[in-house]
Amino acid sequence: MMTDTARNMGKSDPAAHHLREMCGRDAAQLRRGEGLWVLPPLLWIGQSAVVAAIFATLLQGTPGLPWLIVMTGLFLLIGLVRVGLETHAADRLTRLARAGVRRLRDDLVERETRRAPHDPARPDSAALAVLLAEKLDHLVPYITRYRPAMLRVMVVPLTILVLAFWLSWAVGLVLLISGPLIPVFQALVGLAARDASVRQMAEIGTLNSALLDRLRGLVDIRLLGATERMVAGFRDRAEALRGSTMAVLRVAFLTSAVLELFAALGVAMVAVYVGFSLLELIDFGYWQDPLTVGEGIFLLLLAPAFFEPMRELAAAWHDKAAALAVADEHRALQARPLRPLPGTGGAADRLTGAPAIRTRGLMVDHGAPLRFPDLDIAAGDSLAITGPSGSGKTMLLSLLAGLSAPDAGEIEVAGRPLDDTTTDGWRARLAWVPQGVHFLSGSLRHNLAPGATAEELADALGRAHAQAVVQRLPRGLDTRLGELGTGVSGGEARRLMLARAIHAAPDVLIADEPTADLDPETAQEVTQQLLALSQQGVTLIIATHDMRLANRMTHRLELPPFGEEAG
Amino acid sequence: MRHLWKILMLIWRAERVALLRGVVLSITVLVMGLALLGLSGWFITAAGLAGLLGLGTTFDIFRPSAGVRFLAIGRTAARYGERLLNHDATLRALAALRVRLMQALAAQGWERLGRLRGSEMLNRLGADVDALDGAMLRLAIPAVAAGVTLGLALVVMSLLTTPLLAIASVGSFTLGGVLALIWVTMRARKPSRRAGRAVQALRIRMIDLLRAKADLAVMGRLAGARASTLAASARLDAARAASDAVEHRANGRLGATTTIATTIALFLGVMSAREGLISAPQAALGFFVMLAVAETLAPLRRGLTELGAMLDAAARVDHLLGDTPEPRGHARAVRPDPMAPALEIADLRYRYPGAAAPVVDGFTLRVQPGEAVALMGRSGSGKSTVLHLAAGLIAPDSGTIRLAGRPLADWSEEALRNHVGLLPQRSTLMRGTIAEALRLGAPEASEADLRAVLEVVQLARVIAERGGLDANLAEAGAGLSGGEARRLALARLLLRRPRLLLLDEPTEGLDDATADRVMAGLRDFAPRASILIATHRLPPAKAARRIAAMV
Repeated sequence: MMTDTARNMGKSDPAAHHLREMCGRDAAQLRRGEGLWVLPPLLWIGQSAVVAAIFATLLQGTPGLPWLIVMTGLFLLIGLVRVGLETHAADRLTRLARAGVRRLRDDLVERETRRAPHDPARPDSAALAVLLAEKLDHLVPYITRYRPAMLRVMVVPLTILVLAFWLSWAVGLVLLISGPLIPVFQALVGLAARDASVRQMAEIGTLNSALLDRLRGLVDIRLLGATERMVAGFRDRAEALRGSTMAVLRVAFLTSAVLELFAALGVAMVAVYVGFSLLELIDFGYWQDPLTVGEGIFLLLLAPAFFEPMRELAAAWHDKAAALAVADEHRALQARPLRPLPGTGGAADRLTGAPAIRTRGLMVDHGAPLRFPDLDIAAGDSLAITGPSGSGKTMLLSLLAGLSAPDAGEIEVAGRPLDDTTTDGWRARLAWVPQGVHFLSGSLRHNLAPGATAEELADALGRAHAQAVVQRLPRGLDTRLGELGTGVSGGEARRLMLARAIHAAPDVLIADEPTADLDPETAQEVTQQLLALSQQGVTLIIATHDMRLANRMTHRLELPPFGEEAG
Repeated sequence: MRHLWKILMLIWRAERVALLRGVVLSITVLVMGLALLGLSGWFITAAGLAGLLGLGTTFDIFRPSAGVRFLAIGRTAARYGERLLNHDATLRALAALRVRLMQALAAQGWERLGRLRGSEMLNRLGADVDALDGAMLRLAIPAVAAGVTLGLALVVMSLLTTPLLAIASVGSFTLGGVLALIWVTMRARKPSRRAGRAVQALRIRMIDLLRAKADLAVMGRLAGARASTLAASARLDAARAASDAVEHRANGRLGATTTIATTIALFLGVMSAREGLISAPQAALGFFVMLAVAETLAPLRRGLTELGAMLDAAARVDHLLGDTPEPRGHARAVRPDPMAPALEIADLRYRYPGAAAPVVDGFTLRVQPGEAVALMGRSGSGKSTVLHLAAGLIAPDSGTIRLAGRPLADWSEEALRNHVGLLPQRSTLMRGTIAEALRLGAPEASEADLRAVLEVVQLARVIAERGGLDANLAEAGAGLSGGEARRLALARLLLRRPRLLLLDEPTEGLDDATADRVMAGLRDFAPRASILIATHRLPPAKAARRIAAMV
């Protein structure tokens, strides 16, 4: 774990490199914002000088009221400017960070939209959505907290150190000795805290998913009389989690306690030294004149400010760890090859001409070449594509529908080559019935055809024998489907997809395993509906395992198992 | 605020001791910090004064300097303890809140549980509970610790300087801090809720776009889906910008309050010393203590920035917890009568809330001990409803249901679940191994039992191919096909050996031959059980001795 962390912190680490690149575009503006962020602690030096002057004067006599008012006014003024600057710098950095995250997010949306739907390199959709909607935001604290804290650490302690040495080499030495030790501990704390926080986050995540899992299954758990056992089991698991997490945290906290101890002892030693030398009990540590009261108070006020930036940086350590994790995920995503979706995917005029399809020498290369036999499909034909799993049935359908482009060979549709200019027009003539139905989040009407009239939909649903499905739904066509909505069974979903296809009035219908996972009665009904479409002159292209369906088609193409050439 | 309060009380009641220790140590850290700075300031000024007066040799230097060192080390130690205890308390709170949620939800009505299964609320629950974890640690504990410390600072400052100085500085700081807090509470919630909704919309739209991309492209709707995803991204950005603005303004206000309060301490202290009310070292003490007082609210800042999300999450979680649970039966000890009909339903009527017509009306059925009855009818004819009524998941509008001769209302929840096994139309499998999934309802089942029951549901071969009983089911039982997952749920139910089995479409998605084998195996496995099967297919109905039709 340690070596892994060490590697991740190194300059050659690809995640760190990617993270720097992600911020590179706004580098100049970020520098300016971070520069502003450095000013407030430097203004504190000014405030400290004012306070020291006031107390020095007070000890040596009675300060005049106007002078006192001017001095405290100055203290207030610098303080307010300091707060204003800090707010302004935070605003500025946050805006830049948000804009940067938004750009990354939108670029990812654009890029993944351009990807062909059956691209084998496509990322997991749920993981991508979480990255977009939630994880990318972890970059914001890195930009607004970690990086500025880094700059403060480089500037502020050094400035204070110079001032301290100028007034008293002894105080300077105390700070110098306790200061450099801190970066060493810092690194140790960073390592420990990062491992601890990563582990804690991972385990909290586990606990959460265990909770959700159980809540989803609550009906079943209760039906099985297992509620109390489930709660007890969960409690045990949380207890075990607490034990292991605390073991890791103890190390992290101990290391950072040592760091704080150094800071605290540093401040205490400055205070004691200054006190002793003011009492003239110590006669060393200054250049020519002994330390004055004013200088003593000034140094005492500066000592905590010397350590403060390092504490800030320690607090921001896990921001960097989180950002690195996101950068790594983003980099892996960018590194995935992309097989583009031909055309735009927008609405287009239908391509004219008889919807015949002709393919020559089609080949797709997914590491190993996958070659397809040449096809000549006339308008009104019905073709079953069969073959074992992995033989490329879905890929062939995808090619014919213009959903991805072949690596070699050509496809001619309606007498024209299928390319970026003709694809949208070709797809406008198709209907597509997928194997795994994904309902869009929204009403059933929105899923079927947002612009259709009630009569049109009723007609399509009737022809697909899907009216009973709609009647069963709590709010008919307005029922919300999808992730947040009501579910429908596999057979019902297939019928609704057919209704959608029928409503599109296609010239060619492409269906992927339309009868898979259906009981024989439902499979029979779906087959009948497909044949009815064929009789109306619609070209059918169907990938299937189901021989009862395949045998009803006019043509059949048997794909050989992957790796074997077609005979 | 009311919801957040309820959640905080809930965590408090669950983990009083751990949290109390955390609060005490948090206060110790703050108070020691206060004392450290105050003592240091006093010490240096007093030393300076003594030096100027030439009294250096008579000044007691050892006690103050020892005090400074003690406080420096003590504060570090207290801080270590505080972090340890508070993290421990967090983890306890994490568990306490989640356990409470489970218990509260488990006591809800069946209707509500069913609706909850795939709901948006459940999807957000993880994030919500996470947001609330911080409520105690980053909001409540720092707030209580700051309140106590401010009170102490007020008293000590009054005694060591002047009451006017103490009230003016600590009082103005407290007032400003509280006002900033109230301001955030009022402003933070709206943008945070908007951001939550935008995150949800962005996530769902992106998943829709990716999973339905082929469909969308063929329908020419892909460009529109992209635009709506980008629109959600823009909305998220706007909401986050509004949240940021509130956070920065709040921090600015806190900062300004600190500056003003320390200025007051400085000015009044020096004025009092000028007038001889207090000594110069006392004035320094007042100012330095005030610098440390400013630290008391610093731990709250992070909590404040999360307040919007917490308030929002608390409202949703409280809503989940809040509905009054459905009380089930009087826990009377029922003694089933083995000679009476296993299930006797008379003149049953049930109408779903909001539905125009009853789904079950005047239904009567009797299942004798050991008998298997098929309940047939087209979909929507109320078969599932009859099973749910018989299992006591919903209560009929009128009519009677008796199980083994005893009225359903007399059964306690526990006795009812042990006696009746219901296979609903949709089951959920949880993460874990196949063996764990099977043992969910029957923890004592032996490995031989598990293998036997897998044989019954025709899954033995499938499970062996997936790696056997110890193979892991991924989230929500993924890895098994729909039909396989369903048969696993049936196996899980059979292991409990209920006397009355209520099976809703047990063979959906199976081919006829497999369906026949499952039904035959089921009979062999539970030869004495009474079985009621709701189905619209013939193969399972053949296994029954009698068919009851629903129209």
